[in-house]
Amino acid sequence: MPDQEKDKPATAVAAEAPAAPAPPKPASPPEDHSQQPFFGEPLVGFDPSEITGSLIVIEGMDGSGRSTQIALLQEWLESEGFAVQTSGLRRSNLVGRDIDQLLAKNAVTRLTLALMYATDFFDQIEHRILPALRSGTMVLADRYIFTLIGRGVVRGINRDYMGGLYAMALRPHLTFWLNVRPETAFGREFRKAQAISYWEAGRDMSLSHDLYWSFIRYQTMIKREFEVMAKKHNFIELDGEASVSAVNKLLRQRIAEQLGIRSTKYTPSSALSHLWR
Amino acid sequence: METQDVVQKPARTEPAKSTLPQPGRPIPSRSYPGALIVVEGTDGSGKSTQLYLLKRWLEIGGYRLHFTEWNSSPLVKSATRRGKQRRLLTPTTFSLLHAADFADRCERQIMPLLQGDYLVLADRYVYTAFARDTARGCSPRWLRNLYRFAPVPDITFYFRAPLDVAVNRILSGRPKLKYYEAGMDLGMSYDRAESFRLFQARILEEYDKMVETDNFVVLDGTMPVNKLQKQMRDIVASKIDLKRFAPRAEVAE
Repeated sequence: MPDQEKDKPATAVAAEAPAAPAPPKPASPPEDHSQQPFFGEPLVGFDPSEITGSLIVIEGMDGSGRSTQIALLQEWLESEGFAVQTSGLRRSNLVGRDIDQLLAKNAVTRLTLALMYATDFFDQIEHRILPALRSGTMVLADRYIFTLIGRGVVRGINRDYMGGLYAMALRPHLTFWLNVRPETAFGREFRKAQAISYWEAGRDMSLSHDLYWSFIRYQTMIKREFEVMAKKHNFIELDGEASVSAVNKLLRQRIAEQLGIRSTKYTPSSALSHLWR
Repeated sequence: METQDVVQKPARTEPAKSTLPQPGRPIPSRSYPGALIVVEGTDGSGKSTQLYLLKRWLEIGGYRLHFTEWNSSPLVKSATRRGKQRRLLTPTTFSLLHAADFADRCERQIMPLLQGDYLVLADRYVYTAFARDTARGCSPRWLRNLYRFAPVPDITFYFRAPLDVAVNRILSGRPKLKYYEAGMDLGMSYDRAESFRLFQARILEEYDKMVETDNFVVLDGTMPVNKLQKQMRDIVASKIDLKRFAPRAEVAE
């Protein structure tokens, strides 16, 4: 694959002094899992006690309304005076574009793809999410490890393997699951792009030659995985079929409680009012 | 050798999927007819030279084989290169990117070849990641899980050379050590050669720990090349039924 970056000199970092020593941390398994900042293992070189911001995750299938809600929540939180950082899949500087290329070429096997997504995830954790949380910023994550685990598991990768891979992922303060029926999601996604993409429909899994059925069956499998994880990880399940404003109100109430915000009043600005349905 | 050549064996009883083990099983049980020979050791231990000579011996004998190198999958190469050049890599992402690279090779080359009854020779294998990433501070338990999909080698040769011998071989042959290669990201020393030496010492320590747990065949990397190669060939011949990988035409006669 062509590497556009290879000729760019690394001058910006060439003169940089070595980073401060990061002593290896002993990996002792935590006893009470729900209270630990990480799911399983501590992340090398990071002290979770420095975290002062909150990590809020919005999960849900394609077409569940995640990105709409995140745009609205960001505006609301900023109007309340909170600094907000967002994250999402394939947004890392390290491999975000490489994954795009792998997906476009469809030459990649499931395990490689799962590991590239894990690389992308941890690059964002280390370079975007943790620095933000340490400076007291609220992080709104558009999908998190749960989508990545679900995608791997429905493709036959061992559930424990996927869980172990993300053992050093930071445990979110709140995880919302916008639950919609695959049929509803299909309609929403189709309206968005007038088409359904190869990966959204899970076509690599050869479920059906009919795109509609491929989408429905794939998203139903993912949904079943979410049902398993929802119990285990205390998801706050919201009805993604409700109106944008109704879902947003529930999100604001729960987040306000978490952050100690007294008022949940919010009307979108003119820039976002088109989302308010 | 093209990977496409390989699909000539009848379907196996166990599908390749089974290489992802069930909980509690440390590493996959064998479900393929091929054989896997691995060389491991620190930089400068002589392992690549020895594997090359082993490969020549087997090639000249006409055996069905495939040679694979660590860190060589074209799919992941550009990401690794960019990460290294811009120094974006942390111990965790360094490890994951190499695992992605290995997974690509494992799923597209190593496993299909083992299923197709080939002899696979690997210059470095998962033990390189175990030693190097543990030396960088990654959790050994996490690393073992990360590479659970890898088939267990039939023979793992561990070329052991004293730290000074190995380090001097590298320092005299290479004008400038690269940042990650020298372990500069660990911040142990501002001097590259010194950092490399300290990093290699940690790696050597981790390799030594695996001799027992992972059944390494330890070879003395300071021995003369031809004597060492003789030892290696004898061990391969005694542990692997090489006739099975002989040219098919001769078997038919």
